[in-house]
Amino acid sequence: MNEITRTMATAASGMAAQAARLRLSSENIANADTPGYRRKLVSFEETMAGDARAVATGPVRLDEAELARVHDPNHPLAGADGYYDSSNVNMMVEIADAREANRSYEANLRMFEQARQMAGSLLDLLRR
Amino acid sequence: MDHNLTLLRLASSLAAHASARQTLVTENIAHADTPGYRARDLPDFAETLADGPGFTAQITRRGHIDLDAGARGFEAEEVAAFGAETPNGNSVSLEDQMIRGADIRQNHDLALGVYRKTMDILRASLGRQR
Repeated sequence: MNEITRTMATAASGMAAQAARLRLSSENIANADTPGYRRKLVSFEETMAGDARAVATGPVRLDEAELARVHDPNHPLAGADGYYDSSNVNMMVEIADAREANRSYEANLRMFEQARQMAGSLLDLLRR
Repeated sequence: MDHNLTLLRLASSLAAHASARQTLVTENIAHADTPGYRARDLPDFAETLADGPGFTAQITRRGHIDLDAGARGFEAEEVAAFGAETPNGNSVSLEDQMIRGADIRQNHDLALGVYRKTMDILRASLGRQR
């Protein structure tokens, strides 16, 4: 039973980490057109939650890639040459990242559900 | 009588083995995107049974799947599906882990089913209505 509670703690930490990643991904997409915005990234790390081996998100980092130079002389931030710095968010990358987070989240949820059902059927042995 | 108790012990070992594997597979899935994480799983129950000194109750001890612990019933080993290795050193394949999960579920159900039936037979032999 203790084993199963630990399993559930691990799955829950996985879900929390993937949700954090999904949140950053949507922040990036929301700010895709914000001038000077740098894409936020997070990496996962191994950690302990009580006595369960869990996953946690590491520090949030900013993508150091070049900002996109956009030609728009009418833009208030445009320089003398008519260019301004937009964000370095790549929509395609963000969507792919969000998809992957979603898929991993679902897998964690499945495992949580399965652990719950296994605990349930174990307790059913006491029923009669 | 003794035979039946052995059966009960065997069934509960299988259930313990299944839940220990469930923990490992859940860890693998939680770490599906952690750089450098290696997928781990326990050897088959039949293998454990053949190697070990019979099926003992020790395997349900806490920390028995801890890689750093010394003597224990089950030993986790690295397993990697073919082609699952990504450039960041992670070797978890979600598909492979889901299949393992289904297998674990089946084993756990089997163990509990055997346990329940054995109990039923014991009760029947005592002449009680179930």
